[in-house]
Amino acid sequence: MSGQTDSSPAPHGDALQGAAAAEPPHPRAVPALLRSIGRRALLLLPAAMLYGLLMVLPLLMILRLSLSEDLLHYRHVLESPLLGRVIENTLVISALTTVATLVLAFIYAAALWRANRGLRIVLFGLVLLPFWTGVLVKNFAWAALLQDNGAINNLLRALGLVEDHLSLMHNRLAVVIGMVHYVLPYAVFPIYAAMIGIDRQLERAARSLGAPIPKVIWRVTLPLTLPGIYAAGLLVFIISTGFFITPVILGSPGDMMIANLVDFYAHQLVDFESAAALAMMVAGAVSVLVYFYQRLRKEGQYGAA
Amino acid sequence: MAPRDPDADALTTPLPRPPQWGRLMLLAAALPIGIYLLLPTLIVVPMALTKGELIQFPPTWISVHSFADYFADPQWIDSTVISLKVAAVAVVIASVVGVLTSIGLHGKGFRGKDALFGVILAPIVVPLVVLALADYVFFAKLQLIGSWVAIGLAHSLLATPYVVVTVQASLVGLNPALVRSARSLGAGTLAVWRYVYWPATKPGIVAGAIFAFAVSFDEVVIALFLQGPDATTLPVRMFTSIQYDLTPKIAATASLLLGMATIALAAQAVFALRGEPAARA
Repeated sequence: MSGQTDSSPAPHGDALQGAAAAEPPHPRAVPALLRSIGRRALLLLPAAMLYGLLMVLPLLMILRLSLSEDLLHYRHVLESPLLGRVIENTLVISALTTVATLVLAFIYAAALWRANRGLRIVLFGLVLLPFWTGVLVKNFAWAALLQDNGAINNLLRALGLVEDHLSLMHNRLAVVIGMVHYVLPYAVFPIYAAMIGIDRQLERAARSLGAPIPKVIWRVTLPLTLPGIYAAGLLVFIISTGFFITPVILGSPGDMMIANLVDFYAHQLVDFESAAALAMMVAGAVSVLVYFYQRLRKEGQYGAA
Repeated sequence: MAPRDPDADALTTPLPRPPQWGRLMLLAAALPIGIYLLLPTLIVVPMALTKGELIQFPPTWISVHSFADYFADPQWIDSTVISLKVAAVAVVIASVVGVLTSIGLHGKGFRGKDALFGVILAPIVVPLVVLALADYVFFAKLQLIGSWVAIGLAHSLLATPYVVVTVQASLVGLNPALVRSARSLGAGTLAVWRYVYWPATKPGIVAGAIFAFAVSFDEVVIALFLQGPDATTLPVRMFTSIQYDLTPKIAATASLLLGMATIALAAQAVFALRGEPAARA
């Protein structure tokens, strides 16, 4: 995701561009300008229709739905004893996932950075694989690995390490294991991008002045990677708060997260007004996080330049 | 490490190479992470080869009955067909809208271009469950709940940003002056598309379409909200049945999905390698 979304202007400056700029204003220039604006509007019209009809209008519909009956539904959701529990679940699981992901991603990105060409391709392949594996394929595989008579327990039994089995599934640990696996690529790439921007001479200088390796990592590599780590951490946290499938399959009913609560209101309680009110609150909270993420990325870009 | 002579000329003296064991330790630490990334993908296919009604790893008997089960079950085949139809709608709409939008955004910046780009990326950012609920309320008004067309339309919105991003990336190398000069030499809209935009954007469009297909074929939350007896996509059927039991049939389905993802990845790699020289030129 990183870098792809940059709308940096094309590198111009060939002869053609120069010739076009030097041309004297043509008498037909004004209608041509209008035509070009009209052409652009025409090209953007299908997107306006698609987004207007399938995003803006439906979101306005649930906004209106949530506001019906004098904010009663917001009060209803806020007073529900479930909400506090679910928010706590969401924050704790997302925070655990973020911390574990950043630690693993830092190590993995450093290995990518230092590996020779052949090994780097292998490591890149490994981190791209989960990107292309479907979310249900991954969750199914984790369930099959972690369940009581699953692969990991069979292995532990065969090695004589456990008598019966370890309860690895339907708990918070399983949810975090599944989620970290899902979000790890999102953290590896920004951190790796920050690392390849580091001037290797700085580390050599620190080493030649006598700093041991752990100190070099702590005082040189880590601070210089920090913009990438912040951006990766926030991105991972934002993605984590939206998980829906993994808590259901790998967690216990007590590990319900916020997206599951929206579903619970809609499908179990058939209370679409309250579901809409909760959805609006979720959208608001995520918008704040996304705003900070955008700012962080802009700062990171200037810092790197 | 021996203390270095401080008077040595720092510019000409080769600096000490970092010791090899540091690198080895780093790779040793990364290895378990690599296994963690690989493990789930690795065990799916062997599990599908289990004989019996419950999955086992390692499989006790090698058997392909799970694949036969999958192909013999009309419900699972129906869901596969529905997923393909949904993805087809999403790919066609997202590709057309995405390409037109990228061309519209191409060229000199204009006021609000960045904001517009932010709006175009919005479907990636809006929490999926919020969009799913909104889609449910919207399509319920149109009495389209339980229609695969509705799921396809909802997915087309989700997939459009990916097409815009990939096509924009391939347009970066195209000088807008080329478009202007083609027009001033008398090329009509179709000719400009055929001879200027299409050659430049082809790799981006193919990559975007593959992305769009993957996004739609893998999407669960919206498909879960909009599902009906005649519109249960494959991921929704998997999600529902995983919650009951882990059967070899699910493993077989997962293996087939994995095979498709591998083909998509390979196709993208091939196009990226073939498209690279042209895109860079």
